[in-house]
Amino acid sequence: MLAIISANLVRRPARTLFTASGIAVGVATIVALASFTQGLRNTAAGFVHLGGSNLGVFQAGVSDPTSSVLPASLAGRLQRSPGVARATPLLLIVEAVKGDAAAITFGADPGGFFARRLVVVDGQRALGADAVLVGDRLAASLRLRPGGVVSIKGHPYRIAGVYHSGILFEDAGAVLALAAAQELASRQGEETSVVVELTPGTRGARAAKAIERRFPGTQAINDPEQAARAGANGTLISKAILVIVVIALIVGAISVANTMALSILERQGELGLLSTVGWSPLRVASLILGEGIAVSVLGAALGLLAGVIGGGLLVGALGVRSYISPSVTAWGLGRGLLVGVAIGVLGGIYPAWRVTRMTPLRALSGT
Amino acid sequence: MKPPAGADVLVDAASKSFGRVAALRHVSLQVTHSEAVVITGPSGSGKSTLLALIGGLQQPDAGRVLIDGRPIWQEPDVTRARRELVGFVFQRHLLLDALSARANVEVPLIGAGMRRGERRRRAQSLLVEVGLAHRAEHLPSQLSGGERQRVAVARALANQPRLLLADEPTGALDSVTSARVLDLLFSLRDRLGMTLLVVSYDGSVGARANRTVTLVHGAIDATSETALSSR
Repeated sequence: MLAIISANLVRRPARTLFTASGIAVGVATIVALASFTQGLRNTAAGFVHLGGSNLGVFQAGVSDPTSSVLPASLAGRLQRSPGVARATPLLLIVEAVKGDAAAITFGADPGGFFARRLVVVDGQRALGADAVLVGDRLAASLRLRPGGVVSIKGHPYRIAGVYHSGILFEDAGAVLALAAAQELASRQGEETSVVVELTPGTRGARAAKAIERRFPGTQAINDPEQAARAGANGTLISKAILVIVVIALIVGAISVANTMALSILERQGELGLLSTVGWSPLRVASLILGEGIAVSVLGAALGLLAGVIGGGLLVGALGVRSYISPSVTAWGLGRGLLVGVAIGVLGGIYPAWRVTRMTPLRALSGT
Repeated sequence: MKPPAGADVLVDAASKSFGRVAALRHVSLQVTHSEAVVITGPSGSGKSTLLALIGGLQQPDAGRVLIDGRPIWQEPDVTRARRELVGFVFQRHLLLDALSARANVEVPLIGAGMRRGERRRRAQSLLVEVGLAHRAEHLPSQLSGGERQRVAVARALANQPRLLLADEPTGALDSVTSARVLDLLFSLRDRLGMTLLVVSYDGSVGARANRTVTLVHGAIDATSETALSSR
């Protein structure tokens, strides 16, 4: 049976390839978006644990954590909360670094644990009114060196040093003194978030809930999934994937059904013969269904490959390569493969059913 | 190979119409298990329809068709009954062009659920039987018209049928090749012992058979000596 299925697909190579390509496009889109979403989650993990913190506190209900606004006094009050070892405020400025719109500028208290944990790999640790530290990824991409100048929001800053923190967001961005950042962004007295380090033995989820109760209007995020859900982009992409899965299923199934229906019209004599020589209607239908599934699996395989490549291209096209690395997971690939097989099954059902209704006499008439 | 015995065929007042066109009208025919019978007649006389009724490919509108006393259309599994009883050879070889000669012979055995190794052995021995062992791995496009028809004969024999039905098996062949294919069919019938019914518009084919039945306008020609009855 498998030999007949493969022979039938090979004898119409162009048709097989075109049908498979149609399926591949749908599967590739799903895989690419899934890997992009996973990359967002990974990035969100870094976002939650900025400065190596246990959790981040943001304004509640914001569509994007970077648009959060908190009062400057919050860090001090958090510092005095039970279970909190240290808290330090951050002001995030996006699309501010000239030459890399994706780079984030962090306004940080020079004495806080965020700034103190940056490992300076070149130059000096100096944060002042006109001095800035840049992450090693940003330095590499813009060819920045200590002693040079980087433009942030059109203001030239002297690069005091280059740091590495191991957190993608930070290493692809720059750090200014909090006061300088507030002045630059005209947000005196405000901060975006407060990153919190808990005392040993304190559970993150419990502490987050306690903080939210204690400081109404805030959300404390301690796990990446929560951050991805809090961000509008991640939610939108997750929903878009679902929509694309449904569209891919419908369009792919119609494509396979069309191809297989055409195929059985051309092969009425052959299919009638199979029935004549003793193939049961179920076995003949299985042949047609098998061909539909085989072409779909071929399309899915092409789609998985294209999706992995496409995930990288998507990140590049969106200009977020510096802080999102597409991440291909087994579930992301499995989902693409499942969609491919489902397309084959759905698309093969109708032609297979039609075959069971055909009379074997067609073989005698030679049509 | 175990030689299959023949099967008794009884067509009892069978009629078949396609829309308003009556293809067969109250045809009765009896063929015993040891016979080779040629069904002849002009184009459109109902020869192929009669063969289709006997082979269980179509159900008569009226009357009965019995193989060894059993109505094939009342079997619980018609496909299985057809597979176990009947082998077909058509005017066009109807080989699957993407499969080798051997794989084509294996096709009915796949339908029977036979294992791959056994299928291969059976197909190879059948190709030996029809003199095409050396062409086993050739595609139909690499075979001559006569060779393709011999592969089709081997395929018809795959499930060791007791009734071999050939519908104008030489209709698409030249006279020399036709003679060879007919030699093959009748010699196989003599060796293996199955009942043979051959539809042919060529009256000379009847010389090879036990008797000839002539159909005219969907009825058996009453002047034919060998026809039992046509009401």
